Amino acid sequence: MVRISIPPTWRTRVDRYRLKATRCRECGRTGYPPSELCRFCGSRNTETVELIDERAKLITWTVIYSAMDGFEERRPVIIGILETLHHKARILAPLTDVLPEELRSGMEMEPVLRRITEEGESGLINYGIAYRPVLKKVEQ
Amino acid sequence: MNPEEKTGILGWGSYIPRWRLPLADIARVWGFNPKEPEELNVLEKSVPGVDEDSVTMGWEAARNALKRAGIDPGEIGLVWFGTESKPYAVKPSATIIAEALGITPDTMATDWEFACRAASEALRASIGVVASGMVKYALIIGSDTAQANPGDVLEFTASSAATALIVGPREGAAAFFEASYTYVTDTPDFWRRAHAHYPLHGEAFTGEPAYFHHITNAVKGLFERTGLKPDDFDYAIFHQPNGTFPLRVGRMLGFPKEKILPGLVTPYIGNSYNSSALIGLSKVLDEAKPGQRILLAPFGSGAGSDAYSIVVTEEVVHRRERAPKVSDYLQRKQLIDYALYAKYRGLIDRIKG
Repeated sequence: MVRISIPPTWRTRVDRYRLKATRCRECGRTGYPPSELCRFCGSRNTETVELIDERAKLITWTVIYSAMDGFEERRPVIIGILETLHHKARILAPLTDVLPEELRSGMEMEPVLRRITEEGESGLINYGIAYRPVLKKVEQ
Repeated sequence: MNPEEKTGILGWGSYIPRWRLPLADIARVWGFNPKEPEELNVLEKSVPGVDEDSVTMGWEAARNALKRAGIDPGEIGLVWFGTESKPYAVKPSATIIAEALGITPDTMATDWEFACRAASEALRASIGVVASGMVKYALIIGSDTAQANPGDVLEFTASSAATALIVGPREGAAAFFEASYTYVTDTPDFWRRAHAHYPLHGEAFTGEPAYFHHITNAVKGLFERTGLKPDDFDYAIFHQPNGTFPLRVGRMLGFPKEKILPGLVTPYIGNSYNSSALIGLSKVLDEAKPGQRILLAPFGSGAGSDAYSIVVTEEVVHRRERAPKVSDYLQRKQLIDYALYAKYRGLIDRIKG
């Protein structure tokens, strides 16, 4: 069974829901997940940005047929590496609402709130972000 | 000016899961009459994926409503979530959505329960709260991943979707309220006891004394209050437990089917409970012309119905393009079979790791 520790789950909830990241004012790059220092140049001159309204391009993915305990219903689990279109942040995230044969490099995807893990049938549910193929391009 | 006339809908949005189960597959597995789906006028029902629930669906519907409203989420002073499929029996769903959308902490947030009309009762109450000036904007969400005992006739239609509305001052709204009326009695047509997995229902009893009695009386009450009549409305949207009841209750009240069909979504996705009538409203707001008048009459077992008169404004036209429409979600579909549906809905009993 997946074990969920309450304090870190609670502490990171807004970061997860809003897809917060760290943009460096020195080198201009954006790192995800958020960090104290710029993960690219080490600068402390950073700001927090939210990537929840940003689409992303699928870079690569893996289809996992041997899922760990607690993920049997989700088999095959698909995990992708994406790059957001504006901030160019690289994100590792589950892919959802998509069949493995539909995936293409470069396809546009968008973040959606989903159940990421849960502690059995009685424990906490951990909500977070997964990516799915863009539903429709709408006016921004 | 009554409280309703001070308020309107600033934003609206819906969500339908991608996966659809043909009702013919349910008839095949459980040995029902193959004509059952045709008689219900429902061909497919929406099925949530394994990582979806009423919170995740409600989040997306609310996000679409926020995009259309174009307001700062921090200005929302009330998040009310109507559902009968809460992920937690105790722990509010509304706070998860409020936090995820950047509405917390300066807000009210709670979950409402009244079978399929919890969100509608929340909507009517929010009109009063907004009209009083107590909060500026209210977010109302109806979302359900409806449960049905496998093999029960209810399984044909119990489906999943969400709809959200942002209620605020009438000025600048995409549609405004004219009047509303509620009719409730203690009628045991459908229920689920505290520790039961699935609801039970009174078969045919869910029709005449429940659905038809409450909706017709709610709508007649609205007509008496306002002097409006069926000819004054361009659209009529009723709770949609199947594809035939809304047309029949419309006939009883004097509405031709041409005014009902634009808001009738159940034939394509089934009965999405707290989103059932509201997704009809969402679809009509996606299509209606400024100046048109809409009758909205949700129903919930137990039992009660609300009737609203809503008038569309010029604002509806450009706001509808800011987020995916109901038709976009209807088109995004992938058929699945009963086995995959059973896995997605947790109907397979197994030892979990």
